[in-house]
Amino acid sequence: MPKLPPKLQEIVDDFAGMSREEKLETLIGYAESLPALPDRLKAERDKMEAVPECMTPVFLIAEKQDDGGIIFHVDIPPQSPTVRGLAAILLNGLNGTTLEEILTVPTDFYLPMKLEEAVSQQRLHGFVGVLQHMKHAALQWA
Amino acid sequence: MSYVHPEYLVDTEWVAAHSTDLDVRVIESDEDPLLYAIGHIPGAAQVDWFSTLQHPLRRDFLTREKFEEVASRLGITNDTTIVFYGDKSNWFACYALWLFQYYGHKNVKIMNGGRLKWEKENRPLVKDVPSYAETKYRAKEADKSIRAFRDEVLKQSNAKKPLVDVRSPKEYSGELISMPNYPQEGATRGGHIPGAVSIPWAQAVNEADATFKTPEELRTLYEGKGIKSDAGEVIAYCRIGERSSLTWFVLKYLLGYPKVKNYDGSWTEWGNLVDAPIEK
Repeated sequence: MPKLPPKLQEIVDDFAGMSREEKLETLIGYAESLPALPDRLKAERDKMEAVPECMTPVFLIAEKQDDGGIIFHVDIPPQSPTVRGLAAILLNGLNGTTLEEILTVPTDFYLPMKLEEAVSQQRLHGFVGVLQHMKHAALQWA
Repeated sequence: MSYVHPEYLVDTEWVAAHSTDLDVRVIESDEDPLLYAIGHIPGAAQVDWFSTLQHPLRRDFLTREKFEEVASRLGITNDTTIVFYGDKSNWFACYALWLFQYYGHKNVKIMNGGRLKWEKENRPLVKDVPSYAETKYRAKEADKSIRAFRDEVLKQSNAKKPLVDVRSPKEYSGELISMPNYPQEGATRGGHIPGAVSIPWAQAVNEADATFKTPEELRTLYEGKGIKSDAGEVIAYCRIGERSSLTWFVLKYLLGYPKVKNYDGSWTEWGNLVDAPIEK
């Protein structure tokens, strides 16, 4: 199994050692810490198609820095704290890494976190969704 | 014209006045399980449609005994008025209400508009989790008259009786197996149950504040698609039975159809069932 980028690995290890309550609180902390979308990207977001079925609309954009690292910006409504929390973990773990590192993150990387203790297994599909979205957005810099 | 059973709905104003009454229990049931922790209606308890209400091993609800434990822990007696509310236009609130009815709790209501309307009206949301004096709740035998199983769905389809598919149009057509932007998994075949008409659940609610549409609008919506109140038993389904529990609530209580069942096996069962007929 490929190694995870160090920061993401650190977050995974942290969660692995937490109690259910700590996981819940930490996930909420991540959801609340998700940075707002920079103003310069808001016009781009407004072009996004409305998602039918009132699903969580996830706006995500990848930018490449001068040093080659990729930075993600996301916009997710406050009504969806679980998806915000999962996205914030990925942002914290992957921002600044390279395209190659991002593409090699396995879709089941989160299993050791045992997050299903805090939010049910079903919700964790959101992780896969956001990660795939990030990989797809990052590919424009291939 | 009013709803046929308006007593199954309360508005946000009523909940604001009664959310901590001793004979009332307000219960939040969301798609997103973190919302309750971030802030909920004062006095409200939480159930999670999956971790609280499903059987830990089988694909089924929790057992009657476990349901009694959950209800007792929430301080509910057999006479408590339970008001459900939640995110996503009250999907999961309707799901929880349906399950409480399945185990025989009669006095249940939906807060019209759910979390969205409550938030839009800038009403208070609190973080403290209330505790309730434990009760000895006694559930009834499961009421299978509101739940459809696969064999009766097949009979319903073969007899060309009313079936309502409440999924999004692309799930109905078979183009998608899950909701747009959700993982495409859970069924090996796409399409719909033969004879089912497509009436996406969201057409029953107002997008702006998640309240239910007017009785006239609802009647026009379902009758216009051939789902009439005198047509006998109606079965609604979606992917896992959560969206269709909202449609079940609308048909049974707001429009007063005499016999409505929710098929919670839904597409994740039908689309995997060997030998089941499928239409595209």
